[in-house]
Amino acid sequence: MEPCLENVKAIRRSKEEKKLLRKQIKASHTLLKHEGISTVSKPTKDYIISLQSLVVANGGLGNGVSREQLQVVLGEGGDVETLIMHPHKPYALVTYRTEVSAQRGHVLLNGRQLQCGDQVVTLYLSYVDTVDSESGVCAVLPPGLVLVEEFVSLEEEALLLDAIDWKSHDEEVTVQKALKHRRVKHYGYEFRYDNNNVDKDKPLPGGLPQACVFVLERCVRDRHVKVMPDQLTVNQYQAGQGIPPHVDTHSAFEEPILSLSLGAKTVMDFRHPDGRSVAVVLPGRSLLVMKGESRYLWTHGITPRKFDVVPACDPESPVAVTSDFSNHSNLTLSRRGTRTSLTFRNVRRTPCDCAHPSACDSQQAPPSPPSLPRSQTDACRLEAEYVHSVYEEIAGHFSSTRHSPWPRVCHFLSSLEPGSIVADVGCGNGKYLGVNPEVFAMGCDRSCALVQICSERGFQAFVSDALSVPLRSDICDACISIAVIHHLSTQERRQAAVEELVRLLRPGGRALIYVWALEQEYNKQRSKYLKETREQAPPDDHNQETRDSPVKLSVHTNRTAFNSQDLLVPWHLKDGGIKKGGRVSKMTKDPPIDTKSPVLAPCPVFHRFYHVFQQGELEELCARITGVMVQCSYHDQGNWCVILEKTRDR
Amino acid sequence: MCICILYLNVLSRISGSQATEVKVSEVEFNPNFVSRMIPKLEWSALVQAADGLGHLQDLPTELIADYEANEDFLRKVHRVLLEVEVLEGCLQCPESGREFPITRGVPNMLLNEEEA
Repeated sequence: MEPCLENVKAIRRSKEEKKLLRKQIKASHTLLKHEGISTVSKPTKDYIISLQSLVVANGGLGNGVSREQLQVVLGEGGDVETLIMHPHKPYALVTYRTEVSAQRGHVLLNGRQLQCGDQVVTLYLSYVDTVDSESGVCAVLPPGLVLVEEFVSLEEEALLLDAIDWKSHDEEVTVQKALKHRRVKHYGYEFRYDNNNVDKDKPLPGGLPQACVFVLERCVRDRHVKVMPDQLTVNQYQAGQGIPPHVDTHSAFEEPILSLSLGAKTVMDFRHPDGRSVAVVLPGRSLLVMKGESRYLWTHGITPRKFDVVPACDPESPVAVTSDFSNHSNLTLSRRGTRTSLTFRNVRRTPCDCAHPSACDSQQAPPSPPSLPRSQTDACRLEAEYVHSVYEEIAGHFSSTRHSPWPRVCHFLSSLEPGSIVADVGCGNGKYLGVNPEVFAMGCDRSCALVQICSERGFQAFVSDALSVPLRSDICDACISIAVIHHLSTQERRQAAVEELVRLLRPGGRALIYVWALEQEYNKQRSKYLKETREQAPPDDHNQETRDSPVKLSVHTNRTAFNSQDLLVPWHLKDGGIKKGGRVSKMTKDPPIDTKSPVLAPCPVFHRFYHVFQQGELEELCARITGVMVQCSYHDQGNWCVILEKTRDR
Repeated sequence: MCICILYLNVLSRISGSQATEVKVSEVEFNPNFVSRMIPKLEWSALVQAADGLGHLQDLPTELIADYEANEDFLRKVHRVLLEVEVLEGCLQCPESGREFPITRGVPNMLLNEEEA
């Protein structure tokens, strides 16, 4: 009977085994379908796989299994090196310290049932595949991207690393800087970070290093590239260093772009404009070939961090347990080491004509700098972009720099009769609204953010346009307009603003107006001063009208003399405070984000439109308005100022 | 935004301000100040809006003579003018019906490009 029984037992076992296998396969399929994890049921030498990493299906935080519980169970196999449990996933990824432990764990725990709270959970364990260029663990690689592993041998790698001379580089860069940012060196042509392009007319002496020639020949031989590259950029990344996401400038280089990784492996992230993202492991000694979409459309970057989540088990990887998951389903932690990349490119001589114009600087017209408006509509648009929206963005920072009321403005306000009604048109952060508590002061400004600051300070203020103030005529005993009218972009609008102030005044009421002066360095030596301004005298509005082409507005350099009356003045925003979707001017000289340069996040720069007034210009403007009299005019703190009175008989 | 603004406003003939949030705070009484404000106001409009806000109380519907010397009267005006604040609501122009919102005490009186 015994053999019979044994047979029966054997049959039953194999039935159970088959059932287990079926369930395990089903679990594997689920993992592949939903998580992109591909598994193998047992290790085989056909795959380059990790023999120490397993996926534990149904053993996840996402389905109620705790780390502590799982750790204990997995411990039955042997020492667990890393255990990754994503907060929301129904599986875990375990890497054992040795292959033997992994095998034991697999055998003991595959099909194991766990009691988790009031439910029973069945664990299925499978070995996990690594990423290779053909069958990526997660999503499909970006189109045009090819990864060739073991492109150079260990000896060749050593030769190449040796050939790069960092000494001359380090003489220029301080040690501290080198620690913060990756090191970069160029051969063939200098890559310029101010315009993200190469100086095509100025090749660097020496060309590409002799030691690299064999690499290039191999690339040509293997049909990765047709023409030998003529530009090389070497990047060296320490653990914790990276490079922001970017697309290599279309007009600078052809395709493909070849990148040889030496030293430690890393993870490079590719992102499509629609948000899709793929993480690609770049092993040491591999060649990355970027063509088509992967070169022209997807951005690539390396996140600055010290650990990556990669599938292949690295004997050097530390005992670090984490539940952090990148947006790709990699499995274990790999500590970053020093990586050196050699990026070979062909300098482009003709404009780029790729199929991705949205990312192409040859095919996209650069944003044209604004020009002086010649119609009301243009003027409104210019001011909306270069005045109103800027103040909305910089309000907080701007307000913090506007805290000291100017003495002569205070004097004007303090000399008013108690009970006077005063309007501050263009009140900003309300700096002047509280100067004289004896008067009733109201402020209005175009910027909601600034008016809100006034309100928070307990002042009466509302949002309105300086050209259309919703107050009744003849109601104000006094008005002030401090550093406001110079933001209006046509002479007609500037005059209209003064007329609006006059409308608000009661007969006999007075207005104080301050505008930025063209002449910043005003001194008592009139003749010399006048001579200087005459030399610099820019075309005034009259000449402006006779020109055929619109006058482009130039960007002023802060803290220097004005060399034009109509210009854009930069504001460097500090301390955050920037709203989402803030519009940063494209005219900034600071390098944009998509650069390979080791630059810290640039401070956002905004441009504000100004028409700075010449001496006498403000008085001339007031003289054109009927029913007003200029009481006095003076220069104060780099401004031209007038006090005008609304005459009693109009 | 205190009612003062309303009555200096071009929309001073508003039919009613729809205030959803009104705050009353204490402001130092300055009789001279209030006296000087009164001639600038449209009295009937002030009364109307105060009533609309539910803060008319005992404010006279007609401006009394010799108000400068009448401290009691001035105090009533002071309360309505400076102590009653509209925090949330809107101003409506009686002619066009156009509404201007008041948010966190701040009225937004901007007109669109087409309206200006």
